[in-house]
Amino acid sequence: MELAVTDITKRFRDMTAVDRVSCRMTKGVYGLLGVNGAGKTTLMRMLCTLLHPTEGGITWDGEDIFAMDGSYRRILGYLPQEFGYYPEFSVHDYLMYIASIKGLRPAAARRRAGQLLETVGLSGSERKKMKKLSGGMKRRVGIAQAMLNDPKILVLDEPTAGLDPNERIRFRNLISELAGERLILLSTHIVSDVEYIAREILLMRGGKICAAGTTEELIEAMPARVWRVPAAKDQAGSFMKSYKTANMKAVRDGVELRLLSEKRPAEEAAEESATLEDLFLYYFGEKAGEGNV
Amino acid sequence: MFKYELKKIFFRTGSIIAMGILLLLIGLVCWFATDVYYVDRNGVKQRGPSAVAKLRAEQKAWAGYLDEKKLRRVIAENKKIKSSPEYQSENETDREIAYSRGQGFEDIRTLLNKSFAREFREYDYYRADRLSEESALRFYENRVKLLKEWLEGEANEQYSDGEKAFFISRYEDIETPFYYDYATGWSRLFEYAPTLVMVMLLVLGYLVSGIFSNEFSWKADAVFFSSYYGRNRATAAKIAAGFCVVTGVYLTAMLIYSAVVLLYLGADGWSCPVQILFSGWKSFYNIAVWQEYLLIWAGGYVGCLFIAFLGMWVSAKTKSAVLAVTVPFVLIFIPSFLGNIRFSLVGKILGLLPDQLLQMGNVVGYFNVYSFGGKVVGAAPVLLVVYAALIIPLAPGMYRGFRHMEIG
Ligand SMILES: Nc1ncnc2c1ncn2[C@@H]1O[C@H](COP(=O)(O)OP(=O)(O)OP(=O)(O)O)[C@@H](O)[C@H]1O
Ligand SMILES: [Mg+2]
Repeated sequence: MELAVTDITKRFRDMTAVDRVSCRMTKGVYGLLGVNGAGKTTLMRMLCTLLHPTEGGITWDGEDIFAMDGSYRRILGYLPQEFGYYPEFSVHDYLMYIASIKGLRPAAARRRAGQLLETVGLSGSERKKMKKLSGGMKRRVGIAQAMLNDPKILVLDEPTAGLDPNERIRFRNLISELAGERLILLSTHIVSDVEYIAREILLMRGGKICAAGTTEELIEAMPARVWRVPAAKDQAGSFMKSYKTANMKAVRDGVELRLLSEKRPAEEAAEESATLEDLFLYYFGEKAGEGNV
Repeated sequence: MFKYELKKIFFRTGSIIAMGILLLLIGLVCWFATDVYYVDRNGVKQRGPSAVAKLRAEQKAWAGYLDEKKLRRVIAENKKIKSSPEYQSENETDREIAYSRGQGFEDIRTLLNKSFAREFREYDYYRADRLSEESALRFYENRVKLLKEWLEGEANEQYSDGEKAFFISRYEDIETPFYYDYATGWSRLFEYAPTLVMVMLLVLGYLVSGIFSNEFSWKADAVFFSSYYGRNRATAAKIAAGFCVVTGVYLTAMLIYSAVVLLYLGADGWSCPVQILFSGWKSFYNIAVWQEYLLIWAGGYVGCLFIAFLGMWVSAKTKSAVLAVTVPFVLIFIPSFLGNIRFSLVGKILGLLPDQLLQMGNVVGYFNVYSFGGKVVGAAPVLLVVYAALIIPLAPGMYRGFRHMEIG
């Protein structure tokens, strides 16, 4: 059970959305972390055979997924970032339809849909029309839909976008629950979504995977260190221009900054242990003033 | 999954409105087609079932072979009425009373007008009134004579010798005398069928336009195409749904329309030659009324299916429902803008456009023929065969176009 991505590139005209990406995934949760436009969705679409890579290949247990055709899609579940549905369908109709195009027999589909609605906390809403559901409920139907065929590979593109903090926590738990014997690839730009549940995190920027590994490995490998720096109010600005700043909090006699730097940024600075948030900042963050050129 | 494809089509406000419009239109067309009046002996126009019954009874009294004896009687009766004081009167009611007396043979009188026209393409409403009883002899002969004159004169350039010979032989081969019967049910049915079929096609075009493209506009495409059957069976189910919608709606609408008109006006005259109908006198298709009815059914069905499939094919290729809805509009309205050029090369091409299928009743009256290696064939069978054959590659065409879609 291995999904291997080898040097894939996807170009749209003159724009390279995914640039020579390689990675290997087996079972467990993988978090694909990146800012807007990093190429996450494009990469996932290729993994779901919706787009052909311009270069490179993707294999499942050594077989090309495009050549596998139906037999690959049979073990695939996908929740797209923009999850579309048939507005006039009831939740039940929707799930039954998707089950049918996933090759489930009606009796099995009914059973499975019932179980999944319970898992995602929607039993009782079967007769509701899709268009009348709240955003969070739609996402949950989206997850249920992706899980109908009990996929070995579950691809979730920003499943937590637009969810409130409570929903977000429920979601995280749900994903851990679903993990089991499958490969889950989950994209997000919110660190906490994957921090504790992902077995491995892939950091994506400008179409490239710029770092990958477990949280510990990534933090270990991060070139910068994290410092807590007390400073006077008027000094804060100059610190923030020179260093990536994770946090600033007001204290009694000034401010306290959390900075990323390879070297000690100031005499009074105290080193702290880094978190995934810091890592995210290190790879994707900007110093104050950058970016508004 | 087929069942859900149908749900996707019909569970939309737009589709419900479209079906409502179609029902309304069927009602309207039925109403127009059955709006027949009878003028009673007091010169008063009557409508409704009893009027139909009276008209039918009077016309049925004239049913039978249109031989010399019968035509002489018609000419004589007509003369009598036309020389009556009521007919000569300035008074509107008196003239209606005169008309009332001739209602039974009015259809035959119009055939006399046609047969004795000075020119092939002329129609003189009063021609029959000037005929002597002896002319009855020349009723069938005239038909051929006018055709020949036309082919040698006005239409000389438009047809090859083979085609001319074809028309003449069709005219000469027809069995005479014609058997006449009351056939108002059929002539009314034929008259309004094109309107019904064309509007039905627009509704059908709308219904099927979203079958493919809505997956994209609903953003349901990603889940669809990443599913096991998305790129094969589920795509095929869409084509099947399109086919069944066209077939189901067409059959239902035509059945309702035919049933209403024929039950109300009567289906008498089904076995008469189409030449006894006002629209059929000149037709070179030597067929019976029921055969023209079948042609209208078949033509309408093939036409609707072809155009609807063409629209689906366009939307499967372009992801656009708008383009798909445009197809039927263009195919129906462009030819009518180009006018009634029925002859010459342009006419030959126009005669083969799919809008012709929707009005087979008219095609039966047109002089459109096509030659294939010396053999001359009328437009009606050519249209049916050509478009039935063109439908076949459209299905695999849209299948391939849709299943290979990239979602990016
Ligand atoms: N079909 C397309 N045609 C042209 N450019 C595209 C297409 N799809 C994506 N792109 C471009 O590719 C880049 C990567 O887009 P992608 O959607 O993969 O990013 P993402 O990481 O998913 O971003 P987000 O977090 O906003 O969802 C973007 O610059 C985008 O404009
Ligand atoms: Mg995205």
